[in-house]
Parts: sequence; structure tokens; C-alpha cells
Amino acid sequence: MTTLLPRGRPRPTAIGGSHLARPVAWSLVALLILVTLVAVFAQVLAPDNPIQPVGAPNLPPLAAGHLLGTDQIGRDLLSRTLIGVQASWLSALVVVTSGLLVGGVIGLIAGATGGWVDTVLMRFTDLFLALPGALVAIAIVAALGSGLTNTLIGVVIVWWPYYARILRGEVKALAARPHVEAARLSGVSRHRILTRHLLPGVVPTAVVTASLDIANVVLLLAALSFLGLGRQAPAPELGADTARTLSQLLSQWWVPGIPGLAVLVLSLIANLGGDAVRNLLPVRR
Amino acid sequence: MLRFLIRRLAAAVVILLILSFVVFLLEHIAPGDPARAYVGANASNATVAAQRQALGLNDPFLTQFWRFLGGLLTGDLGRSLRTRQTVTADIATYLPATVQLVIAAFVIAVVLGGLFAVSGALRWPGASIGRGLLLLLATAPPFLLALLGLIVFFGRLGWLPARGDGNFEDPGPTGMQVLDTLLHGQGDAFLDALQHLVLPAAVLSIAPAVAIGRVFRSSLQGVLHVDYARTARSKGLTERRVLTHHVVRNALGPALSMAGLQLGFMFAGVVVVEQVFSWPGIGNYLAASIPVDDFPAIAGVTLVLGAIYVVSNAVVDLLQAAADPRVTVH
Repeated sequence: MTTLLPRGRPRPTAIGGSHLARPVAWSLVALLILVTLVAVFAQVLAPDNPIQPVGAPNLPPLAAGHLLGTDQIGRDLLSRTLIGVQASWLSALVVVTSGLLVGGVIGLIAGATGGWVDTVLMRFTDLFLALPGALVAIAIVAALGSGLTNTLIGVVIVWWPYYARILRGEVKALAARPHVEAARLSGVSRHRILTRHLLPGVVPTAVVTASLDIANVVLLLAALSFLGLGRQAPAPELGADTARTLSQLLSQWWVPGIPGLAVLVLSLIANLGGDAVRNLLPVRR
Repeated sequence: MLRFLIRRLAAAVVILLILSFVVFLLEHIAPGDPARAYVGANASNATVAAQRQALGLNDPFLTQFWRFLGGLLTGDLGRSLRTRQTVTADIATYLPATVQLVIAAFVIAVVLGGLFAVSGALRWPGASIGRGLLLLLATAPPFLLALLGLIVFFGRLGWLPARGDGNFEDPGPTGMQVLDTLLHGQGDAFLDALQHLVLPAAVLSIAPAVAIGRVFRSSLQGVLHVDYARTARSKGLTERRVLTHHVVRNALGPALSMAGLQLGFMFAGVVVVEQVFSWPGIGNYLAASIPVDDFPAIAGVTLVLGAIYVVSNAVVDLLQAAADPRVTVH
């Protein structure tokens, strides 16, 4: 199997392998939950309508009534950023969850069944892993036509194999453990072994893998949005808002800068939160 | 070894076939009628139908795929709807600038990654601040790094230019501005090209540098305290010699493999950076093709960059197998 190169996504960042004290880890997890809540209630939190001009154009941050300033046509940047955060963060969660579900089912079936089913499924997975994911995602979204749904479909298509690989390995390792062997020898049905003994066993690995992956997805989605492969104007989206206002960089840095900084904040929180989850759950390193 | 070589090359061929099939399939489902694009929006339905027949769009799916593959092997990637040139000619024009950018970024990434790893493994005092900064930068989206670089080095300091790969005419023959001006001994143009190259290359190098650095550091830490390193120290060798002769060589394998993987990722990730810096490479060509739905161009770039990615991964595996025979055993 080495020939087809199962490769994990190398994490671009993170403080990897660090040991966090439990209170620190828990507060980072709380931060993850907080970001999710902010994303869910973005409409409520946004002080202004993100699509309508509400003030003078290009007000700098901390201007009266506009905490993060306004953009080139006077729309409130805080409101636009909040709605952009909502799109980015919830999309990333959707991609990770769908990848986990699709990849998880395939990985579980392959690992639990073994034999030719395992070989066929994993060869298929490896083929997908050997393709350059980001590039194929760009091509898929370009072919389907841009729009948030199509972007999510495109990214999920290239994203699941990673989960299939990891979870299949975990199932294989679990299946060789004594308690599963004991169940098998005492005549427990294959279905029951899968649902009662293997599935609960892979949950920690699945959760850790997924939470470490959120930052990757946030960055990929931001890059696609920057290239114009996300929601269409005038809907706020972090990458696209930066791309559309690049010409203002040297005169009003905050107009293209703040959406970009929001992506940085999301990616940082996702990374730290992912590390915290790994510290808290019992998973083999 | 030979068996491994054959298997690995065969795998690469299969992956390339799959890649072309995926691109062909996408071209099939992409909106827009290629026949109409050829004859123009005002053509009559009969003309479009005739053009469909002439382009072979009424043939069975597999026949069309077969012809598509044949086209690929002869370098025919279709015609761009935006530039009206053949996609092959466009890519030939823009690819050298991308290659130059990626090579420069790769060199920076390897140097930074090496420093990251060695400073971490040897606990150089004060270096943890640099490592923390690098980690933070690698968390940022590349376009934000590009903006930051532009504000500081172009806007504030005025040291570096913001757009393009040089102000001078490229004298040829490679299309890589830095190399060509050097070959022709044009000092001013060479410095100018180098100035243009620094910022985009640095931006592109950050995330790969951290990826390489982290792998290298953990393998260095693994080897620093093994028996043969202790033996070397107890023979009275200086720490420096232990490091250069015993530790680094044995720790290099995983880092090399990660470096190769990152080289492939850079070719895929170059698109955004090229767009911000108006770099005249194929990433920018791709970015310009997206808003106008120029699918032949998008497909061509995906195929070329994808093929570079697949081939570079295969080459890395073969190099690794040549360097370390244990790789071929499994």
C-alpha cells in the first residue's frame, strides 16, 4: 500500500504536541464554543445592516458608532465581519462534519470488514489523497459555479479521504484489542461488534482529528473566497471582502485588513482549541 | 528497488489518469456551451449544432474522454475563452515565473525550517521568540501575510516593489527573470528582479517552513539522545561534530520527505499569492480565468499544476528510497 502514499494533511501551524494544563485546555475549548455561539447569533450581535451603507465611507476603527470603522461605501465593518465570521466558521464546521461522516463511514466499513472490501475502498481513498486537494477543489467549484453551497460541496469532495484513512487505521487497531476479540469469540454478531465495540472506540480519535482540522478548512475556504469562489457580492465574506478592496490597502488598511485579521483570529482559535481537545481526550499520539 | 521504482511510477501514471478524468468530467458538467463559445453568442442554432458536431460533442462520453487524453499527450489543452490563445501557449508563457517563485520560496522555507528545528532542538536562547512569531504567521491566511508585507516593505519603508516580477524586459531564454538577467550579466535588471521576488517568495514560504521545521525538530530530538550519539560524545567529540556527523544525517529523512511534500503544496497554493502581487505566473492566470468562467484555462492550469504535484511526490519517494533502503521494504 505504500506505493499510493496515504498522506495526512500536514498542519500548517499549531503548537503541536504541547501539554496544556487542564484549566487552560478547558478555557480554550470554551473559546471554541464561544466562537461558535458568536457565529450562530451573528445577526443578533451585528449592530447594523451589513449590506446597507450606514455611515460615512472609510471611517477608521474606533470611529464614533462604528467600532471597526466603515468600508468604501460606508457599510459597518463590524457587522460585515460578524456575518463573514458566521459564513466562515459555520462552513468550516459543515465541511469538517461532512468529511467526518463520509470518511468515517468508509473508514469504518473498510476497517471492520477487511479483505477485498478494505483493499478496494482504501485504494480509492488513496487515489483521492494523492491529488492536490486545494487545486481540485478550485476546479470543482469553478465547474459547478460559485456560491456557498457549491463551495462546500467542492471542498467536501476533496476532504473526506483524510478521515477515511485515519479512522480505518483506528478501527484496525481497535479490532485487534482483547475486548473486541473476546466479543467476537463469544459469538457477538458483526453488526453488534461494529456498533457497540468499534464505533464508541473511534469517537475520541474522530473528534480530535476533526477539531485539529478546522483551522485548515477555515484557511482553505478563505483562499477560495479570496479567489471569488464563495458567496457573491454584496453578501459579506471574509476572503472576498479583502480581495475586493485590495486597492485601498495603503490608504485605508482597515478595509481590506480587518476581514483578513478575522480569518487569522478564527484560524488561531481553531488551532489552539484543537490542541486543547487533543490534550483533554484519551488518544494515542 | 527496481520493483519499488516500477510500482511507484505505475501509481503516478494511474493518479495522473484519474486527475485527467476528474478534469474532463468537470469540463463536461461546467456551465456554458463550448460550441457556442466557439461560434459566438449571435450565431444561429444551426451553426451551433454544426459546431457541436465538428467538435465531436455528440460522440459517446468515453470516445470524448479518449480524444481528450490524446489531446493531452500531444499538448492540446483547448483554447482559452478569455485570451483567445491556446491554453498550452498561455501556460508556456506564464509557467516560468511561477517556477521561479516556487523555487525561491522553497529555498527560503528550507532555510527557515532548518533554523526553526535546530534552534528548537538545541534550545538556543531567545530563539523561541522567533519560533513563536513564525508559528503565528503560519496560522494567518497567506493573503493577510501578503498585505502585511506590502504595508511594511512597500508602503512604509518603500524598499520593495508591489507588483510583477521586474521592470525590465526579460531577455530570455528561460522566462525566469532572475535567472535570465543573471545569464546576460545585466546587474541592474537582476537586482530589480530579485527585489520583486523577495516578498512574494517570503509570503509563500512561511507555512511550508513551519511544516518542515516541526517535522525536522521532532526527528532531531529523537536522534539527539540515541546510543550512537552518546557513544560519539563519550569518545570526546565536540557537540558540533556529533551534531553534523551523527545526528543531523540520521534525522534528515522525515524532513526531506516533508520538504518534498511541501514543494508540491506550494505549486498548488501559489494562486492566491500570485494574485495579490500581480505576479505574471499561471496562478494569476488561473485567478483571472475564474471570474469569467474560462473553464478550458482553469482545466489546463489544474492539470499542469496537478501533474507537477503528482510527479514531485513520486520523485521525492524515489529519492527517499535511494537514500534509505528501508523505505522499499513494505
